Amino acid sequence: MVQPATARRSTTAVRRRHLGEHQIAALVLVTPALLIIVGLRIVPLVLGAQYSLTGDGDRNGLFVGLANYRTLLDDPVFRTAVRNVGLLFLALPVAVAVPGLLATFLFLKVPGHRFYRSVYFFPVVLSPVIIGAIFNILLSFDGPLNQLLGKAGLAPVDWLGNSHVAILSVIGVHIWATFGMALVIFMAGFSTLDQSLLDAARCDGATLPQTVWHVVIPELSRTIQFVFVTTMIGMLTGMFGLVYVMTAGGPGGATYLPEFYIWVTQGQMNSPALASAASMVLFVLMLLVGLAQIRLIKRATKEV
Amino acid sequence: MMPTASGPTTRGIRSPRRGWFAAALVPALALVSAACGAAAPQTQSGGGASAGGGKLVVWDWHSGDATTKEYYAKAKSDFEAKHPGVQVEFVAQPYDQYYTLLGTAIQAGKGPDISMFNGGAQMRDRVSSLLPLDDKVGDLKDRLVGWDAFRKDSATYAVPVTLQGFPFYYNKAVYKKAGLDPETPPKTLTELQTTCAAIKKSGNACFNLGNKEGLGIEFFLSGFGPGVFSPAQYDAWLAGKRDWKSPEVKQIFDLWKKTNDEGWYNKGVNSTAMFMDQFTMFSGGKGGNVIGLISDTAHWKSFDEFLGPDLGVYKPPVSNPANVTSTFLPAEGGIGYGVMKWTKDPALAVDLVKSLASTDAEKSFFEKAGAIAADKTVDTKSVDVKAAGEIVSWLPDSKPLLHTALSAKTLDLMHRLSQQLISGDVTVDQVLTQLAASDK
Repeated sequence: MVQPATARRSTTAVRRRHLGEHQIAALVLVTPALLIIVGLRIVPLVLGAQYSLTGDGDRNGLFVGLANYRTLLDDPVFRTAVRNVGLLFLALPVAVAVPGLLATFLFLKVPGHRFYRSVYFFPVVLSPVIIGAIFNILLSFDGPLNQLLGKAGLAPVDWLGNSHVAILSVIGVHIWATFGMALVIFMAGFSTLDQSLLDAARCDGATLPQTVWHVVIPELSRTIQFVFVTTMIGMLTGMFGLVYVMTAGGPGGATYLPEFYIWVTQGQMNSPALASAASMVLFVLMLLVGLAQIRLIKRATKEV
Repeated sequence: MMPTASGPTTRGIRSPRRGWFAAALVPALALVSAACGAAAPQTQSGGGASAGGGKLVVWDWHSGDATTKEYYAKAKSDFEAKHPGVQVEFVAQPYDQYYTLLGTAIQAGKGPDISMFNGGAQMRDRVSSLLPLDDKVGDLKDRLVGWDAFRKDSATYAVPVTLQGFPFYYNKAVYKKAGLDPETPPKTLTELQTTCAAIKKSGNACFNLGNKEGLGIEFFLSGFGPGVFSPAQYDAWLAGKRDWKSPEVKQIFDLWKKTNDEGWYNKGVNSTAMFMDQFTMFSGGKGGNVIGLISDTAHWKSFDEFLGPDLGVYKPPVSNPANVTSTFLPAEGGIGYGVMKWTKDPALAVDLVKSLASTDAEKSFFEKAGAIAADKTVDTKSVDVKAAGEIVSWLPDSKPLLHTALSAKTLDLMHRLSQQLISGDVTVDQVLTQLAASDK
């Protein structure tokens, strides 16, 4: 009676000690990452949220409730910035379709695909400031693009100075500058594609569009989902450099995006609490957009 | 008590939905914690001074320039001779990010002991981090001019080093090509309109303008103001009594719109940067006129380098003969140095500011970098550029600039509205209504 009980106890003890070691090891390995995430992400986020409820200038440090959020709601520039986020949302399918299509061509090994693969990726390594400066020259009123239009008998367009065109110019340049990264992700997705499924489709006599629709897209659903979310996040947070260099938010505030608004409000306008409120709005916006995208795309890319 | 082997693992793989909810909860919790009275970080808390320990740190946007090297060397040696053993460090920040960086330093309560400022709104918005200097700089009051731009509520917060003004520069070669007398620049708006028509006909832009950042309207308002406002209206504007609905203010904004529609400017002004694209065009002979500066950039010296004897200068034209018979050069304190509140030894910092405004250093700033010095005693005769001599001779009649009396918030709004006026998205009346509401 005694012996088996002892044996059971010792086995449990060994397992306990064993588990403890595993746990400690896991904790030790995870702690540095956790500290960095908590210290550099979560704490600033909480501080930012807290700061957004305080005043600026004479009311610095005082609790003002949601006053900053009300100010944002009344600010036409911030409203334009948020409206432009909507425009980014509309441009998103283009930003995903361009690398998707090009990746398909590369996957199908069009002539010169090796060369194009590196050419398409090249803009990703350039700084937005350089890209902005190059396009400032290309798109300037007396620049090469307008000269080309002139030769074709068309009127010149003030690509960066017309309030209705400027935001589209900046978004276009952003898509050009960043699609290389999405292309690489698509290429990685293509490399995991099950070749037997493609062969089966071919044997069944499926056309190319049918193959793409019924085999490629469902197979790449996770990749497409990932590219959608990362491209949107990139658009919401990575266009500052281009806006700053290409239009400075103008003309008439037409190219403001939330992150540019945050920067101007904090630095130029000396209103950090209001800027914190704007950054909280951007954070929530990104959270909602990300959630909505994951849900929508999951449904859209599911094989019926 | 002890977790099972599978426990943490299975709990670790949470559904993505729960993860998102957790992330969404963080700001919500933060809002609650703030609502419960959590204190926000206070600015200007002090304690972050870089002085003490025999070192003073100065922030500026000039000490990296080759043209101002001698100015800083002279100021430094003047100070070090008086305070041996005290180290001085000049930190040159990029100008387009200067106030953003300074704003961040102010929020942190840390930063330089002394900072360079433009006169007007940018300094006035930050006086809560600056030491009032009136009782410390009495000995400079008579020698230097341009103090008004560095005052708020009758207290002085910075010491002027240069003057800033908006003269109209013109290119005599462009005038000649247009069949105009290069030695007789326009004195009235009517003459200027005739001049512009002739220059346009000759294939050049009458004025070079860059309004990408909205700065063009500042130069337009302050440049044309002396020829539109009566002396009493001008003084009232500076004193804060601004009537945005007055016919004179409307005249200026109407003129801004009209001159653009009449084709006075180079094409695509809303996408042309003022610094340096606009001024590069003028230096390159691609325009007849430009409203330039007298301080540290886009001034007589930089234009003289390219245009030489073709460079001419004139005062704002008389645009409203009912109000004005003669005009003056709008000018005031350009750049100056303020002492930050958190410096450990204010007396020492003020002494360094005095060295930065010493006559010897200022003379070098004028001769090498072309900035008109705020020091009345600087001998300007050594420079043989005619435009510089004329500008200096106009200074005694000057009055401060109209736009620097506005807050940074109103200026920002004016920038955007000026672009919308050019694009045709708003009317002059809508612009004036919005500016009046902002400038309360």
